[in-house]
Amino acid sequence: MQVLINNVNTFVSTGGRKADKDAPCLLFIHGSGQTHLTWLLQARFFANRGWSVLAPDLPGHGLSKGEALSSIEDMADWCHDLIIVAGHHKVTVIGHSQGGLVALELARRHPNVVAGIGLIALATAIPVNPQLITMAEDTEPAAFDAMVTWGHGRDGAFHDHPMPGNSHLHMGTRIMASNPKGVLATDLKACAAYTEGETAAASITQPAMIILARDDRMTPWKQGQGLAKAIAHANLVTIENAGHMLPVERGDDVNKALRHLFEQTGA
Amino acid sequence: MSKSFGFDTLGLHAGFTPDDRHGSRAVPIHQTTSYMFHDTEHAAALYNLEVGGHLYTRISNPTIGVLENRMAALDEGVAAVAVATGMSAVFLSVLALCSQGDHIVASSQMYGGNINLLEHTMSRFGVTTSFVDPTDHDAIAAAIQPNTKMVFGEVIGNPGLDVMDISAVAEIAHAAGVPLVIDATLNTPYLMKPLKHGANIVIHSLTKWIGGHGVAMGGIIVDGGNFDWGQNDRFPTLTQPHFAFQEVNLWEEFGPAAFSMRVRSEGMYNIGPTLSPMNAFHILQGLETLGMRMERHMANTNALLEFLKNHDGVAWVNHPSLADHPCHDIAMRQMPKGAGSIITMGIKGGRKASQAFIEKVELASHLANVGDARTLVIHPGSTTHSHISADAMKAAGLTDDLIRISVGLEDINDIKADFDRAIKIAQKIDQQKHATKGA
Repeated sequence: MQVLINNVNTFVSTGGRKADKDAPCLLFIHGSGQTHLTWLLQARFFANRGWSVLAPDLPGHGLSKGEALSSIEDMADWCHDLIIVAGHHKVTVIGHSQGGLVALELARRHPNVVAGIGLIALATAIPVNPQLITMAEDTEPAAFDAMVTWGHGRDGAFHDHPMPGNSHLHMGTRIMASNPKGVLATDLKACAAYTEGETAAASITQPAMIILARDDRMTPWKQGQGLAKAIAHANLVTIENAGHMLPVERGDDVNKALRHLFEQTGA
Repeated sequence: MSKSFGFDTLGLHAGFTPDDRHGSRAVPIHQTTSYMFHDTEHAAALYNLEVGGHLYTRISNPTIGVLENRMAALDEGVAAVAVATGMSAVFLSVLALCSQGDHIVASSQMYGGNINLLEHTMSRFGVTTSFVDPTDHDAIAAAIQPNTKMVFGEVIGNPGLDVMDISAVAEIAHAAGVPLVIDATLNTPYLMKPLKHGANIVIHSLTKWIGGHGVAMGGIIVDGGNFDWGQNDRFPTLTQPHFAFQEVNLWEEFGPAAFSMRVRSEGMYNIGPTLSPMNAFHILQGLETLGMRMERHMANTNALLEFLKNHDGVAWVNHPSLADHPCHDIAMRQMPKGAGSIITMGIKGGRKASQAFIEKVELASHLANVGDARTLVIHPGSTTHSHISADAMKAAGLTDDLIRISVGLEDINDIKADFDRAIKIAQKIDQQKHATKGA
């Protein structure tokens, strides 16, 4: 659906179902240089099972207009605006990578709207390699290439996608290329600049689920352990033989773990 | 793992992970019509395309899926859908975009089956086609109408061997808000990847070089994921609610893979030209050695060209790699590894001599196919293109004496010897004919 947020046309996938303000709401937030298509295997799955799904393209991404936001804090406030515009009072927020940082910050800044939190392929910080940021600024296609390569596990490298006929790597590249030039660099700089992860994680009192990939080379599994420790009561699920793009690499396993979270939040 | 696996590595490995239980290294043949659901929710999820997996072989199948993933990897597309034949791949591509009242701009120099489908079959359902010279860019631009849904052509025209400048034609199509759909059968992804040059959809007959052994029919549609279907209102099949799947908007929900999802969710559901798993397996065996075979195809083609150019009995020989070919420069720029292993030629003495040559070859096979491991010859004017009109035949670059050669993998000296012998016999028959006339 298209909604106006701060007078900017914004695309929000509702998983192919009409948004239902009375149904428990799941807010899915994508990562750096991505779009709502990160949630290819989640949005329709949960929308068709009674949840009200909001999977937006962040400003300047995918089908949304506007300029990309330059800080995780701004993105968190923007998500809060989206929740209000969509007519919900409380959501279970699920974030992938950069989207996880946004979810953490949303919970820190606006705890009253967060019923629970799902954090996928995340650590308390994402210290982006400066060379990658430079690459994103100067030779964006090379940065896409590097990120989709590093972002997938064995199945990605060998184009073995759960959806018959699909290619992880080429789909990933096309999604990133669908964003306006410069969006990836803005996102990466926002990630690198965000230093409130530990604090935000410590503030989480809502039910929390952390889903990590054993073979993640973007936010390594060991660093994700630190996030699990920072949220004392969090459940941790490790998925084997998968990389950073867990939601598309292992959709079934991710959905199973998220359902466990939704049972806790009553969503 | 690197994204940049080489062509031969992807040809051997892409799309397949040996399973933990059996560990089969070769891709297993899943000769089954249907698949056990875990529970009713799993069944519903598969029907709604919410999760990965298979529900019925008409829609998808694990063996066919490996072939699809492998071809998507080799052509650098976001997704692929394999079908029973190359012709059904063309038909499903048209079906995915066109409805009654729509229009196509197509190359006039294409395989006769493609021309017939558009000119005679689709026109019965209200989809019209303007055929234009693929090298006349002004004509292509002028032919695009507000209801045009695609520009369609072949990289290497069959059998005229003209070469479409993919980058230039893509630019023209995109400026008009229309995708470029390319039949790339004659080049294969080894010689050229049209998506990298700006094409949006690539179609192959898998029956030809990709299978390569002449044992299995198949076709495939590779979705480049590089066209903005939402830029205008021309493509309601992708940007309006789908008639099935809870009225999902494919462009919004599947993004770059919207086209291939339409092909699978309409073409395979409602039409169902399914590739058999056994044929997918056979084609995969060919695909595993495509790179090496294409190298040999091109080496033999180049050597045979040299031989035919210098043969006294040959009236003319045509191939894009020849310096005097009108598309030589484009061909070399787009396909530096070679411009395909089809050669056309005429024997001195015209149609009768050419027909005599075809009947006198012994090693080469006279049949209706291209891209086989074996060398093939045919007279298209009386076979593959005999059902198209005289005008269309002329537009396709077909002359009365044209022989189409699909150069195989035999020892080149044996091919040359076979051709030399048949050309000489054809010449003798021609000379005898003239002598008889003179008497």
